[in-house]
Amino acid sequence: MTTPRPRAVVIGSLSLFVVLFVVLTFELSASASTSAGKTQATRKARPASTETKTEAVEEPEEPASGYTETEPEPEYVEPEVEEVPPVVTSSS
Amino acid sequence: MIEAIPHTLSSQGWWIISRSSAMVAFALVTASVFLGLTMAGKPLREPQFTKTMRALHEQTALAALVAIGIHVVAVLADPWLKPGVAGVAVPFVLSLNRFWNGIGVIAAYLAFLLGLSFYLRRYIGAKRWRIAHRATIVVYVLGLFHALGAGSDTGSLVFLVFAAVTAAPIAILFVYRLGASRRAGERRQRAVRERSRAAAHARLAESVYDTV
Repeated sequence: MTTPRPRAVVIGSLSLFVVLFVVLTFELSASASTSAGKTQATRKARPASTETKTEAVEEPEEPASGYTETEPEPEYVEPEVEEVPPVVTSSS
Repeated sequence: MIEAIPHTLSSQGWWIISRSSAMVAFALVTASVFLGLTMAGKPLREPQFTKTMRALHEQTALAALVAIGIHVVAVLADPWLKPGVAGVAVPFVLSLNRFWNGIGVIAAYLAFLLGLSFYLRRYIGAKRWRIAHRATIVVYVLGLFHALGAGSDTGSLVFLVFAAVTAAPIAILFVYRLGASRRAGERRQRAVRERSRAAAHARLAESVYDTV
């Protein structure tokens, strides 16, 4: 058994890298070229960030201090009073 | 499909490089850890076998460091990810998969520190280096979790089979090594005790001889 040369490991690693590079390139190109797979490829290629920005929900603005719109108070209406004729009682 | 390749390479070339280099790095780290644990178990005491294993262990470790370096550069250059120097250099800064990428950064630092410490043994001291070198298993474990948590190819069957097939023997070898080092420690302590007992006997015999 002889001591392995570093060249063997370097060539092995480079070969693996090249194979993976080619396979991944073809895989992405294939899925991108099909119209149906286009969106799928993009989604697979770029996973959505886990921290998605959420738009701040606008809270209703509070009315400015000092000014409050109030409903007009109903005008005072004097109640109509029916005039009742005086009852005359005769005493004998 | 062929006409789509130039577009794929121009838009996602760095991403493909980072994925390929990551898988190569993981395979090399796995091989290096496996060889290291096998050597520590001393399956064969043939000097030529040990020499071959040690050479392969060192070469795969160095190749893994190169692959990790390429992975980091490719991630840094990825125009979609745009991690910035802080994103790849400081753990838990990158917002995408913050935790899993964070442990990946830690694993890379540990890999470089522990891997290159071999060449600084003279300054560190052989005993201290050996203790630190045992922590290399942490690089493998963190790398595995980083790949499973943040890797784009985590779902691929090939990767899962490779991870499972290699993780099982590494775990067994690691447990065996822990047991072996404990047994060696006990043997060493027993030897020291016996030596001191023998020395005490010799001293006693000498004193008896002197008095007689």
